[in-house]
Parts: sequence; structure tokens; C-alpha cells
Amino acid sequence: MRLSGSRSLELAQRIVRDDQFFPKPGQVGLRYLRNPANGEILDQALVTYFRSPGSFTGEDQVEFSCHGSPAVVELLLEAMLKLDARLAAPGEFTLRALGNGRISLSQAEAIRDLIDAQTGAAVRQASRQLRGEISQRLQPVKERLLEIIVPLESSIEFVEDDLPATATEVLKRKLADLCFEIEKLADTFAAGRVLKEGLRVALVGTPNAGKSSLFNRLLSYERAIVTEIPGTTRDSLTEPVNIEGVPVWFTDTAGLRQGGDSIESIGIERTRRVAADADLVVLVIDGSRQPGVEDEKPLGETNRGLTVVAVNKCDLASFDENTKELRTRMPQAVSISAKTGHGIDVLKTAILSPFITAGWADDGLLITNARHHDLLRRTAVALQSSSELLTEGTSEELVIVGLYNALRLLGELTGETTPDDVLGQIFSTFCIGK
Amino acid sequence: MIFDERLDVIVIGAGHAGCEAASAAARMGAQTGLITLNLDLIGQMSCNPAIGGIAKGHLVREIDALGGIMGRVIDRTGIQFRLLNRSRGPAVQSPRAQADRALYRIEMRQALEATPNLILRQGQVVDLLVKDNHICGVELQDGRRLGAAAVIIATGTFLNGLIHTGKRTYTAGRAGEPASLELPESLQRLGFPMGRLKTGTPPRLDGRTVDWSAFEEQPGDERPVAFSFATGRISQAQLSCYVGYTNERIHQTILANLNESPLYSGKIKGVGPRYCPSIEDKVVKFSDKDRHQLFLEPEGHDTNEVYLNGFSTSLPPGMQQDLVNMIPGLENAQVIRPGYAIEYDYVDPRELTPSLETRRVKGLFHAGQINGTTGYEEAGCQGLLAGINAALLVQNRGSFRLDRKEAYIGVLIDDLITSGVDEPYRMFTSRAEFRLALRHDNADQRLSERGKELGLLGEGDWERFNSRREQIAAIRDLLNSTRLKRTDPAYGEVSRTLGVDLGDSITLAALARRPKVGPELIGSLLPQDLRESCYGTALDSALADSLYAGYLKAQSLTLNRIYQHDGLRIPEGFAYTGLSGLSREMAERLERTRPRNFGQARRTPGLTANALSTLLVQLTAENAA
Repeated sequence: MRLSGSRSLELAQRIVRDDQFFPKPGQVGLRYLRNPANGEILDQALVTYFRSPGSFTGEDQVEFSCHGSPAVVELLLEAMLKLDARLAAPGEFTLRALGNGRISLSQAEAIRDLIDAQTGAAVRQASRQLRGEISQRLQPVKERLLEIIVPLESSIEFVEDDLPATATEVLKRKLADLCFEIEKLADTFAAGRVLKEGLRVALVGTPNAGKSSLFNRLLSYERAIVTEIPGTTRDSLTEPVNIEGVPVWFTDTAGLRQGGDSIESIGIERTRRVAADADLVVLVIDGSRQPGVEDEKPLGETNRGLTVVAVNKCDLASFDENTKELRTRMPQAVSISAKTGHGIDVLKTAILSPFITAGWADDGLLITNARHHDLLRRTAVALQSSSELLTEGTSEELVIVGLYNALRLLGELTGETTPDDVLGQIFSTFCIGK
Repeated sequence: MIFDERLDVIVIGAGHAGCEAASAAARMGAQTGLITLNLDLIGQMSCNPAIGGIAKGHLVREIDALGGIMGRVIDRTGIQFRLLNRSRGPAVQSPRAQADRALYRIEMRQALEATPNLILRQGQVVDLLVKDNHICGVELQDGRRLGAAAVIIATGTFLNGLIHTGKRTYTAGRAGEPASLELPESLQRLGFPMGRLKTGTPPRLDGRTVDWSAFEEQPGDERPVAFSFATGRISQAQLSCYVGYTNERIHQTILANLNESPLYSGKIKGVGPRYCPSIEDKVVKFSDKDRHQLFLEPEGHDTNEVYLNGFSTSLPPGMQQDLVNMIPGLENAQVIRPGYAIEYDYVDPRELTPSLETRRVKGLFHAGQINGTTGYEEAGCQGLLAGINAALLVQNRGSFRLDRKEAYIGVLIDDLITSGVDEPYRMFTSRAEFRLALRHDNADQRLSERGKELGLLGEGDWERFNSRREQIAAIRDLLNSTRLKRTDPAYGEVSRTLGVDLGDSITLAALARRPKVGPELIGSLLPQDLRESCYGTALDSALADSLYAGYLKAQSLTLNRIYQHDGLRIPEGFAYTGLSGLSREMAERLERTRPRNFGQARRTPGLTANALSTLLVQLTAENAA
């Protein structure tokens, strides 16, 4: 629990019932927290005082690390509110920190991501952005953009000066390289988003293919009821699994087949919807018998791009014989045994790989924020338009429009580049002036 | 207070800012007095004998469109006209002209003498008379006192001017003229924050001693483009300039003698312009260049004097002579006026409101180099704005401002009062976000109505403007309605020349937007009977409008999105100091500028992104409250 504002310490003194309570800033102390009205002990907590401006919000701040019981927290809250504190609005502390210049806008966004982060990998990404890595990473990009702007701008402004001509081809190549790099960074958003929000994976297949067994295996505990009776799973179950730091939300679905009772057909309808919403579909095929067209049919009904085929029950002796034709036809199919756990790691990698390897930048920095992604996309589009004009032989003042737009868009991530910065670059590059 | 003379507006200094200011105030009906140290040197060009150039030419055309005089004077006295950037789009083309220096002075003085409500006085202002933070007049060195409710200071490099050549220094306003030493004291007493800047000028040569054959001739345009919308024809006989180069020997000699240069010995403290470096600077900072370009510019018809542009220097005069003689073609050339560097005082322009009035003293205006700018054109447009606003002030009318979107003048003033200066400020087209909209050829379309409202545009000018506006509109319609069809006889050749198929038919407006299509081609495709009426500049302007229209629309969308908070108003007495989270340095920068909206705050130099977001959050919160 956090108190922020100029009266934080005063309130804390009243809640520990000690008006001589002047803790050293940043030092943690164990104190009894009492009801200011009657002195009744509410909790024993670690109390930390932060003095302005050395706190998160930039204001005086006291933090109480109390025991987790919601009841205790509620009592404390009530006591604080009676002392004239008020509840912070969502994100208010961050807003105050922003307002007090403790953090920048991108840092504020990173904090939000940090709070929302589901797994360690997402936390790592958020904390990298908190340290301003996006801005640092884009700094050289911006400088390279300036290197393209400078010769174009000088050719406009200093036509009477004896400046070296820069070949259009050279500028075009530089522009293409830059565009490629920005797009590559923007493309990490797919992976970045997966890290932040997780991946939705639907397990589909015919009844009794072993979807629920696989589901339990992935979760490492018996979440779904597994029986020999086909069609046991009627409703969809969704649970998260942490795969290499990425939260993957698996949904166990009802098997797809014609007929069955009406409850089962509702479940089947639901399966179709789950599969349609999923980032990836795992088609589970029963390897205990010769698979037929029936087994691949669910794929046709749910297919929306990314699919992994898992051929189950590879622990059975008849598996190899049964699935030989299928595995020759689909070499990417993963053989697994939900029962023994064989092949599960291979399956996990197969699920993750389309999202991770495709969009990972060289230095591992990922774009996880939609605003950043949008800005980079627009930057790339702006550069593209300039590149086309350059190819058409359009006059410099038009070519440069897109470049300045790109510079402004990047500026939202890195801080603004003023016309004077551009001129400064020109004067240090070329000898200008009659 | 007893005054020898009472006026409405007093202008101190008759350079390019002062002349424009005095002319505008007087023509707006204010009784105006122009005080100069020397009546024979009104409108003197202290440095190069030329007006215009990229962005600077735009300023002159804007001055003219508003009803100023610089454009008309240079058109009557220009001896070489060139439209720069002809190969590029119309937005970045700009006129430039070499002036007959002496003729320019005479023409300017005549223009002022012919102006009603305007009196000229020779004298030196030594004190500003201020009562209750309101200006009430000036005192001259000879004891005369002149009263006025508005005073414009346009003193150029004269405030504490200090000339350097080699190791010698002496006070001067410019070569051969006394500096103004008491006026800066008066400004200091009033509490104005002041700084030092530096500029320089090259040696002038005796043209009879130049071997012209060693240089490359640079003639003017065959069909000169005038500055003033009122000018029909350029009447002065046209002369050529000549281009030459320095060489390694010169560079080595300069490097070996840097200790003689006050720039490098540490004597000069003021900051000079980066885009107008001395030859010493060029040689030191760009040591990889084996030659630097020089221009020999004639000073006029009735003189042999030649201006050696590109060779600005403050080395000792004797050494200047030696260096000049090392230039191929100048082996026997005689220096008749040595180059020099000059340091002078300026007043922090962040003291000013958008009407160029000081916030400290009501009725006091600053224009030109005192505000840290460089260039005749930059000075002229400030003079015009200050003159207009001084007249408006004494007439109790609201002030006149120009926006960044409507004029380079607006960009210049906004930059000055928002960012201040740390080197002499020169206009560049890249300073204008809306460069594509601010063309030299459409200055009248942007500004002449404003000039008319102010009373600065004569009846003849107004009629001419209206007829041009109608012509442009008519041609615009014609371009949109006339189509080049595959069946037309001209189609085949146009398509072949451009190397593309143009479809079954294309409007002339769309055709004109293609690269490599010039006004001549479009003109030739217009219907025969209408071709005659679509003469020259109206066609050019209509085509340029059509070329940029799409870009401007897209650009304004982009800029609006990025700068969506720019309009957020900052309350008059907003307290930056003590704003939680704003460092003292950031608060000081903002206090000094006192931006009126978030956009100006954003452009304040040296502000960190954190400081800006702090301010933004604070303003948003206050607006929400």
C-alpha cells in the first residue's frame, strides 16, 4: 500500500501512533499499524519512507508492505481514508511521476506494461523499455535519417555554394536500408505482443483423439476429465502455461464430429469459435488407429493459418504402422504421447516458433507497445513515399516531406529534432557560406 | 517633460529595418521621425551588395506583398537578377539580385523623402526616455529631446560596435562610422539582458586591377524575376559576377598565421554565424577541402569597386593584401577597403512580444540586428512589422501578427521570441514547417489583403493584386477542365518525352504534377484562344498551387496529429518556478520565453522531453480542472 503527497509522513505517524516517527528515507522498518481511533493493532508491516523528490512519484511517499489478507488490507485502507487520504485513480501514481518529471511518457508506458506483464520474459522486455532502450536504439536510426536529409536539404538551401553532389542512387540505397531496419523493428511487435499478452492456442481434433490428455500433460496436472468415452469434453477449458517465458493460453475443446446429443453440438459450435479466435490451432490426431479423412476434417473447419499437427499415442506399438502414411505426407507433424510426455517439448517449440523467430530483432529488443508499433509503421511508410519520389526524380522539397515526417514520428520516441539540429548537421558536414 | 519636437513614432537607425519601419508607420498615418547618424548613408548595405537568395528572397516578396518598400527599391537598383533553384520546385525557388550599392541608398532616401508624415533627422540617440514603463521619447547627443509614444530601435551593429583587424581593435558602428556607446547603457539601465554577436566582411578590390579572364563569368537571368509584384520591367543595365577559387598556398599561409587572427587568438568573444564563416574558419574547419569558392561582385555602374564574396576575414590588412594576391587572377589586385570582423551588442529577443514590442517597456520596439538576426531581408521584415505595430499602438488599434503558417516573417518572429538566438539568425526555408505553402510567387495571395487592411497597399497595387487573383483562379479552373486526350495531336510527343503512357486522357492539372513537366509545356497545351490571356506569373502560380495541394493536405493532417497539443494555451502568469518536477534550469528557460501555448513551449530550445511532458501533464490537468 502506497501513500503519496506532502502529508504522507504525517498520516503514517498517525497510523503507527507515534508522532516522533521520522524514519530515514529509503530505510525499511518493522512497525505495528494501529487504528488511529482506538489504538487497536491492525497489522504488523514493513514501512518505508521516501522523501521528495527521491520517490517514484517525486512526492513524499510512504509504503506499507503488509500481510496479504484482503480483510487486513481493507481495514488499513479504511483507516487511511478516515485520516483524509484518498484512493488513487488508476495509474495516478504513474501520472504524478510523469507530471513531476520523474519518468518520460515511454517509461510510463513501460511501467504499465510491467504491471500487466504475465511472465518473466515480458517483464524483461518492459524493464528494458523502462531504461529507455527504444529511444537509445532509435537514436542511430535517426542520425542515419539525418544523413539522408542533410545533402537534400543543403542542395535546396545552399545552391550557390560549392557542395559535392550526392548521387541519387546512394541516397536511395541508404533510404532502403533504413526502411528495412525500421520495418524489422516494427515487425518485432508480433513477437512483442505475444510476450505481453500471450498466445491463444486451441486444441482441436476428433473425439477421443486425446486432446484433454494433452491439455493435462501441458498443464502438468489433471485439469480436464479424461475418460474412454468419446465426447466427454463438452465445454471448453482454458488455462495458461508458461513456455520459455511466454504465457500460452491453451483451450481444450470438444471433439468435432457429426451427430451426438444437443449439448455436445453446442460444445462443437463453441470449438469452432475458439479455434477461430486462436493465434494457433493444434490438431490432435489419434495415432492408435489408422487416421482417416475424418481426422483431418477439423482442420478444414477451423483453419486460419497457423496450425501444428500433433499425432498422439506414439507410445503404442501400432503407432508407427498406423501413422506412416500421414507422417510422410506431413513431415512437420509432431509425434507425441500425452500419456508418457514424449514429444511434448518438441510440440511446445513448434507452437512458439512461428511467433518468436520470425520477428526477433538482432539485439533482442521487442516492440511491445501498440503506440510504438504504430509510430514505426508510419515512419516506414513515410520513408517509402520519399523513396518513390526520389526514384521518380521529383524535386527535393517534395522528397524531403516524407523524411521530415519520419523524423517527427521518430521524434515521438526519441525526442524532437528541430530545424536547427538539421542546419547544425549541415554546417558541420559542409563548408557553407559565401 | 519638454520636447523639441513631438511625434507619434520615432525610428532610431536608417538601415534596412529602420527604413521599412519609418516608411510603414508614416504611411499608416503616424507622424514619424527617422533618426540617423548620417543622412547620406540611409539604406547602406554594410556587407555584400545583394538582396535575396533562398528564403531571404521569400522575405522580400512578403515585405512587398504587405506594402513594404525593399522590393521596389532593389528592383530599381538591381544590376544582376537571378532566380535561384530554377531546377527545383517553385516553393524553394527564390529571387536574388546584386545591387548598385550607391544607387540603392539614393533610391531609398528618395522613397523616404517622398513619404508624407515622415521627417528625417540626423543625430545620435544617447538615451531612451521612459516613464512608468512607457516610452515617451529619446534624447540626442546634442541635447535635443524628441517625444513619441512609440520608439523603434533599429541600430544594426552600432551598439557597442567593436571592429577587429589583426591584433588591432577600435570602436565603430561599421567601417568609418562611430559606434553607439550610450544607447546600450540606457538599455542596460532598463534591465534588458544583452549579449555579444560577431559578423564579418571581406576586402573590396579595385576592379581595374583584376584579371577578369582568370574567372568564370556568371551572368544574370535573361528574363529577370523582380521582387516587387508592382515591378513590370527591370530597367538597370545588367552586369555579370565572376567565380574563382582559393588554393592550397592561401590555406597554408592562413594556417601559418592564425595567431594574427582575432578569431583564433581569443580576442573575439562574440558568436559569429556558422553559415557565413570567415576564410580563416573555412580553412581550419574544412581542412580537407583544397579550394573554396569566391565570387567577384560588382558594386555598381559608376564605380570600379568589387566585392570579394567568400573571403570574409579579420586578418591584418597587410596580410589580406598578400592573400588576395595569391588568388589566381588577383595577382595584381589592390585592396581598397580591408575586410574586418565586428562585434556588437544584441538584446535577447525573448524580451519581445509577437508584435516586436518589448515586454519591459511599453511602446518600445526592437527590429533587426539588435534582435540577433543577420541579413538585410531579415532586418527589413522586422522593421516593417515593428513600424506597423508602432503605428497601430499610437492609433489604439490591435496589434498585427503573422503566423508560422502564413509567412516566413511569422516563422522568423516566432523563432526569435521563442528560441532566442545563440548565433546571428538567418532565414532558411527548412525553418518553415509549411515550406511548400510559403512560396515567393504566392506571397501576394497570402499577404496582400492584410497589407490592404493595414492601409499599406496603394490603390494601384490592390487592383493589380485582384486581377492577378482572378487570373490564377481562372487558370486553375482551366487546368482542371482541359484534358489531353490520346486522340490529340500533341499526345504522342508529350507521352514520348515523358517516357510514360498517360492513359486515354489526363487533365492538364494532373499532367503538370508529373516530374519534368514545366509551365512551358502546359502553356502550349492550353486552348489557343486562352493561351494569350494566361501570361507568365499567373500560370506559374496556378501550377504551383496544383502541384503542392495534395502534399499540403497530407502534411497538415500529419502535423495536426503529431502536434495535437500545440494549441493548448498557457495562462499569462503561469508559474514555472516551483512547478513540481521541473528543474530550475528548465523553469528558467520557460520563464525567459514565456510561451503562450504548448507549441511554443515545445520549440523552446534546450527543453528535455521530460520537462515537456511535465508541462503537458500540468496543462492538461489545469485545463481539466
